[in-house]
Amino acid sequence: MKVALKIWRYDSATGDRALKEYEIEAPEWATLLDCLDIVKDQHDGSLAYRKSCRMMICGSCGMRMDGAAVLACKTRMYDIAQSGHVPVVSAMGNLPIRKDLVVDMEPFWAKFNAMKPWLQPGYERPEDGREYRVSQQRMNVIHKESLCINCGCCVSECNAMESDPEFLGPQALAKGMRFVGDPRDGAMIERLEQYNSEHGIWDCTRCFFCNERCPKGVDPRDAIAKLGAESVAQGIDRDMGAKHAKWFVKSAETTGWLRETELVPKTQGVVEALRQTKFALSLAKHGKVPPPFPPHVARDVNEARNLRKLVREQDRQGALGHVQGEHALAKLDHGHAGESLEEIYERPGAAPRPWLPEVEEEPSA
Amino acid sequence: MLVVGAGLAGMRAAIEAFDAGADVAMISKIHPTRSHSGAAEGGINAALGNASEDNPEIHAFDTVKGSDYLGDQDAIEILCHDAPADVYQLENWGAVFSRTEDGRIAQRPFGAAGAPRTAYAADITGHVLIQVLWEQICKRDIPTYEEYFAWQLVENDGRCQGVVCWDLLDGGLKTIGAKTVILATGGAGRLYTGTTNAYSCTGDGMAMALRAGLPLKDMEMMQFHPTTLAPTGVLITEGCRGEGAYLLNKDGERFLKRYAPNTMELASRDVISRAEQMEIDAGRGVDGNVLLDLRHLGAERIIERLPGSRELAMTFLGVDPIYDPIPVRPGAHYHMGGVATDVWGQTELTGLYAAGECACVSVHGANRLGGNALMETITYGKRSGAHAAEWALSHTTVEVPDSAERDAERELTALLERQDGERPWAIRDELASTMHENFGVFRREHQMEEQGAIVAGLHDRYERALVEDKGEVFNSDLTGTIELGFLLDLAECMVVAGIERKESRGAHARPDDYPVRDDENYLKHTIVHWVDGSPKLSWEPVRMTKWQPQERKY
Repeated sequence: MKVALKIWRYDSATGDRALKEYEIEAPEWATLLDCLDIVKDQHDGSLAYRKSCRMMICGSCGMRMDGAAVLACKTRMYDIAQSGHVPVVSAMGNLPIRKDLVVDMEPFWAKFNAMKPWLQPGYERPEDGREYRVSQQRMNVIHKESLCINCGCCVSECNAMESDPEFLGPQALAKGMRFVGDPRDGAMIERLEQYNSEHGIWDCTRCFFCNERCPKGVDPRDAIAKLGAESVAQGIDRDMGAKHAKWFVKSAETTGWLRETELVPKTQGVVEALRQTKFALSLAKHGKVPPPFPPHVARDVNEARNLRKLVREQDRQGALGHVQGEHALAKLDHGHAGESLEEIYERPGAAPRPWLPEVEEEPSA
Repeated sequence: MLVVGAGLAGMRAAIEAFDAGADVAMISKIHPTRSHSGAAEGGINAALGNASEDNPEIHAFDTVKGSDYLGDQDAIEILCHDAPADVYQLENWGAVFSRTEDGRIAQRPFGAAGAPRTAYAADITGHVLIQVLWEQICKRDIPTYEEYFAWQLVENDGRCQGVVCWDLLDGGLKTIGAKTVILATGGAGRLYTGTTNAYSCTGDGMAMALRAGLPLKDMEMMQFHPTTLAPTGVLITEGCRGEGAYLLNKDGERFLKRYAPNTMELASRDVISRAEQMEIDAGRGVDGNVLLDLRHLGAERIIERLPGSRELAMTFLGVDPIYDPIPVRPGAHYHMGGVATDVWGQTELTGLYAAGECACVSVHGANRLGGNALMETITYGKRSGAHAAEWALSHTTVEVPDSAERDAERELTALLERQDGERPWAIRDELASTMHENFGVFRREHQMEEQGAIVAGLHDRYERALVEDKGEVFNSDLTGTIELGFLLDLAECMVVAGIERKESRGAHARPDDYPVRDDENYLKHTIVHWVDGSPKLSWEPVRMTKWQPQERKY
């Protein structure tokens, strides 16, 4: 098939930047990475990009296609080529470009290292000198976080990092959750304190782009949410972000509504709230603020209260309170409707049923 | 001391050396977590006995038999006895293994194993292990020179004293001196068109050692994995069969009943790859493939235990294994051969060690068992790290003559100054496709002879190959060309060894002229040296301890 690509070329030695178009002949099964290989081999040997495993596990080939981060080896080109669309390929965002599609990963790894990304064992060690005894269910809490291949796609798209380059970011925080959620780790409180400081979890803008663009279903935003919930559950709630989140819960539990008038003092403190009185009055004047007294209670408030009660009774506090993996599970469940094996074997066009031959003679291999 | 390559073997060696007090650094042409160890899926073998009764003796016997008796038995015994403690250590460091009902490390059955011995993390075991070792490297703050491409060994005063590298990201030759150097550069699967190996697997360490005059052992032994995806050879784990998947021909017949009636789909890899190839050659395949059928395992088990394999099949073939069998075929997977070492990873050259796939201890002999490669990287990475550290700590000087870098510089300039010539990709692709055709699952005398001539021709063309990129920053055109030179040298060694091994053993199958194993004449290793620009073959006995060769049936 014919594939056309536009690639943002960049030469850090000269600072030259140019959008170049290439037309190549590629096999129908080609991925974006295969197409880049053809461009490099047959058209321009100076094109620079990273690659290694070509099976979505090494994390080398993160880049942008049409402005969104992808793994080049995971991106099949057939449909794009057939539609006649000419995609624009460029380096990942939020990281300095070194050449063409190659970014400097140094800032990325610096944040990874800032998480103290290694198990810090607690006092309890396996008595028999063998493995820690941990249930699968307990390990499932960090299943998604442990899928991370450090490709940088989430960081590339992170809105919070765009405005605050020092924000720890989705990749590092997902790594943090991988340890906070690990029952073998003994440094949970220390870690949560760290992630609750400046440039930490509460700086996330919840745009969900990291979940959207992660090629492995890690769902970094969910990891950040779990870290937040675990922080509050552990009493680490000095940050305004934590107070803000707590008031949401309290407010929903008591009245079924978000009481915005009280949100500001609860989050920012009374003194800071008083400073904003003028702004509040102006809002009230324009009818933007419901009167705080008497508290307005939602008609079906009991539903909200029962929900909260249920979560408490199930003892799903902190990170455990998060439903694990809607995103990844949705991907996995795709196209699966719980048919019986008989129904699967009987589907039109199905491959033949397995059967065992009768064998009399000696095996031949 | 210096570790070249930062996959599982390299990182494990660096950790051991650091903990022994050595001043150790790693260099790697890619970031350590990008190493191809991370693509290992099914698991790591250790006789933990978590799923059923097991012990290192049975593990050792399975490995000896699996190797078709070419494995060195002292090395195998060490591996199998060290394995359990080494796996517990990985777990204690934080490896996210799958768990049994009682919270222990889960183990699944694997090919040619007498017990469910393969500890696993769903089907991303390599990924989980590479993460945990990188975490331990970060903890120790071991200096890592990323995207440094190792090119030549520095030999001085009868010792290996460093490595000349090309700095891929910033450009320029860099020479790193070291009292001891450990090669842990992985395999050379890129010699073949259909391979499970990454683009990085170009046999750099083997070729560097070969050029430095060191012997390569059992180079004809390239394992073909039975379940890889067309067209490029992406791996589908043996764990699928471990979980109970069937292999079918186009009629739905579980054809292994005719080849390995007792173990069926869990026979060893060489046996299954040959059976598949025979089915395909007999016209009972489906477009050059057989079918890996997971349907009867059910959606729940597939999603829980084999999510990565499902993702690969869906992404690359559009096949959901819950509903349809995955078309698979044999693909080049693992080099049993490599740089000859003793059981401490030492090579013939003082100060030079090798570990992991680039080494040949030999644990795997003529055929590796699934799950034993990861174990070898850990156990022999550890051992070579310990020995190299001890040596480095007890010797004082490092002397790197200026001539080392000057010679490399001259070679580099010649390569970069060439203004016209053939682009290397055609040579690379031709090498890979002809190796597949002429030195694949089955080997025939005339094809191997022909391949020898083809490789020689490609070598000539390579001498005139053109590097188009003349720049300093991330010049992968340059490193790719050097890699092709490595591959061509290794291909020559393989062909020479393959022609001379006039028997069928493990991965080396000669159906037409020598269809059976010949212990009388060939129970010995091939050894290849590079002499005056071409490979010279010799032989070395197999180290036996307690197992005499028996007929091998599955």
